[in-house]
Amino acid sequence: MGSNSQNSPALVEVRGLVKTFGVVTALNKVNIQVRQGEVLGLIGENGSGKSTVTSIIAGIQPPTSGEMFFKGRPWRPSSMTDALNSGVGMIVQESGVIAGITIAENIALGELGRFGKFGFLTKGQIIAEAAKALRSIGVDDIDPSLPAFTLDLQDRKIIEIAKVWAKQPEVFVVDETTTAVSQRGRGILYSLMKRQAAAGRSVIFISHDIEEVMNVCSRLTVLRDGNVIRSLEKEEFSLAAIKLLMIGRELQGDYYRSDYGVSRSEDVVLSARHLTGQSLNDLSLDLHRGEILGIGGMSHCGMHPLGKVLFGFLKPDGGEVVTGDGAHIKNVVTAMKHAIGYVSKDRDSEALVLRAPIRDNIVSAGLNKILKAWFFILPKDERAYSEKQVAGFQIKCYSDRQLVGQLSGGNKQKVVFGKWVGADSKIMILDCPTRGIDIGVKQAMYQLMYSLKKEGVSIIMISEELAELIGMSDRLLIMKDGRIAKEFERSETLTEAQIIDYMV
Amino acid sequence: MRDVRIISRLKPALSFAGLLLLTVIYLFVVDFKPTAFHIQTIINQAAVMAVMSTGAVFIFSLGSFDISLGMGAGVSVCLGIMAYNAGAGVLAMFMVCLAVGLAAGIINSTLSAVFKMPVFIMTMAMMAVLTAVLQILMNGRTSLRVPTEIAAPVKALDNVWLRLAFMVVFFIICAVLFNYTKIGKQNKIIGGNPKVAAQTGISVARQTIITFVISGMAVGIAAFLIITRSLSVSSETGTSLGMDVMMAIVFGGMPLSGGAYSKITAGVIGSFSMVLFSQILTMLGVSAGLSQVYKAVLFLLVVFVASFSYREKMLSRAEMF
Repeated sequence: MGSNSQNSPALVEVRGLVKTFGVVTALNKVNIQVRQGEVLGLIGENGSGKSTVTSIIAGIQPPTSGEMFFKGRPWRPSSMTDALNSGVGMIVQESGVIAGITIAENIALGELGRFGKFGFLTKGQIIAEAAKALRSIGVDDIDPSLPAFTLDLQDRKIIEIAKVWAKQPEVFVVDETTTAVSQRGRGILYSLMKRQAAAGRSVIFISHDIEEVMNVCSRLTVLRDGNVIRSLEKEEFSLAAIKLLMIGRELQGDYYRSDYGVSRSEDVVLSARHLTGQSLNDLSLDLHRGEILGIGGMSHCGMHPLGKVLFGFLKPDGGEVVTGDGAHIKNVVTAMKHAIGYVSKDRDSEALVLRAPIRDNIVSAGLNKILKAWFFILPKDERAYSEKQVAGFQIKCYSDRQLVGQLSGGNKQKVVFGKWVGADSKIMILDCPTRGIDIGVKQAMYQLMYSLKKEGVSIIMISEELAELIGMSDRLLIMKDGRIAKEFERSETLTEAQIIDYMV
Repeated sequence: MRDVRIISRLKPALSFAGLLLLTVIYLFVVDFKPTAFHIQTIINQAAVMAVMSTGAVFIFSLGSFDISLGMGAGVSVCLGIMAYNAGAGVLAMFMVCLAVGLAAGIINSTLSAVFKMPVFIMTMAMMAVLTAVLQILMNGRTSLRVPTEIAAPVKALDNVWLRLAFMVVFFIICAVLFNYTKIGKQNKIIGGNPKVAAQTGISVARQTIITFVISGMAVGIAAFLIITRSLSVSSETGTSLGMDVMMAIVFGGMPLSGGAYSKITAGVIGSFSMVLFSQILTMLGVSAGLSQVYKAVLFLLVVFVASFSYREKMLSRAEMF
């Protein structure tokens, strides 16, 4: 797409853009051009400034200094709505959708004035417009007259997309780092981005996934620590070069694990038998000691609830979860008693207390381990316990008294890992463990999972990224409609294409 | 990012500074010559409030609060006096007070745990119930007294040292439970994020019940201390106490949202501050009605400052960049 965009005039240009938050410089004199008819990828690690640049262009926050131009004229949007009405639309997080009103009203937000006489709204008109907007992005199975809370977070993202697309923005900004998009949402985004570029308009695309950016974008700009490092034309794209530009050094060692032998014990440590309910459909599986069991599928296939059922957090309607020594997992307390740990996909809302120090978070799962006289907890024991994990995981912080909410995605995830590893978990259920984490830390997480495996820890890795499932799993289960559709053994020749057929 | 940490640390220091400031103003008002009577008055009032609010810190740490505490104390005082008047001894009276406080707490927490109702709503209903119970017990009388003929054993307990001892012992027990056992640690996690707590094997229902047992005991002890001082109960007993306790905790540096930065010292610091503030107004000859207005203004100011730094904390979104 857009191979002729190389000499096109710039639709958006930022010059010397600076953004500071207190003492932190998020953007340091950044220059970026977005040409007509191109899909520009912005790529960089967490904290590189890519989301900050786009949020400024889209009117979410003002720059500290610097100039912006849109179609050659100075560009100073006062708000997101202002930017959208003037032609720059950004897909924000799913939280942009208001749960308590209908889907149609959500889509119509910001332009309600257009409907009806004297500012009165006809429900029918709004719903018809919304249905039209949804159809225009290829969605016809969502009833816009329903309240938005009937949709899950990933479908809410589709509402966001329809809302922005309905405005036909000249610059379409897609930030995929803030939230996981379902396969379906991703498909919609890809086709819209193509249409956008083909129509001579522009796209700015942000993602953590380098391969995705390489596939989708016609040009990309790499940011690191608030600076633009380099822009690459399509013909200059190479995975290794981009990684190097992003992290400024070469990654040492393997990205995933490099062995391809079957390396698990025959001992079963956890079994699910005929699980039904919670979107599961007569699902059974065995987890072996020292095994990394990958579970993949479309986001609605039931794999996320499965993790919670295995941990005893959700109760199935039928079936049971049993440990290797025959104990039934009935709730979180029994799960923890049997050394099971669970890392939620929704890190910020389910796995971490953001407004608490690192120490409190890490110690929370292991309080029983540091009891004195079965009752008392001494601060020095808490401190030793937490500092051991902070050091072991190399969590970047100025002290373990720092608020978890202030850490980057990767460091937050390390805190969650520290919480469960500290509690001596022998079975780790990891739901999207590398979601929203940049590659440097991602590699560290993979190496960590591998070393846990070698220590005999059994891991269930639920993920929406096929590449990491293939790269890490001893065995890979593909789920569809709440049941296991296919099982793959670890193999050097396994490819995404072989797997996808069983997912859809 | 770093200044956020200073703010969250500053708050306890700020409330302690507030207490010191009020002490200095108080000393100024009494010409730097406080009499024994002055000091006793302050301790007598503050000890009752401090016991109740120290118990209530556990509820606040969950990110919730109980507005029926004052009325619980009112009913507890009433039943304690009735028991004593019916011939029970001082110890039995104390047990009745404690039992009533505990019962109110257990009912509150069980109902909210069973019906999964927000604790705050539950305690609002409980306040209405307790107000009605007190009215029924008073049976149309404006006040109920321990008759002078049998008052001597109770009067013998009207002693500033006894109150101080109750307060100190109760505070130490609470401080240990809050800072050095799972009870306080798990409460802070629940207050920080109940979903995380549930996924960490912390039973919100169990912690809620433990919490209300502690605060129920505090209510009972406070009721007992009230009886030893006033020997009477009126339909008004407890109405202002509930509000005072809430103000004291917030003034004492308790985060409005509960969670990790909850401080067990908030009750004691806040109670002494509130009592000093009232005493200063009394000494300056401010009328009762007007002092209530000043108190309310102070409360708003404290909440504003507290929620201001709370907002700052919420804005610390390192993930934005």
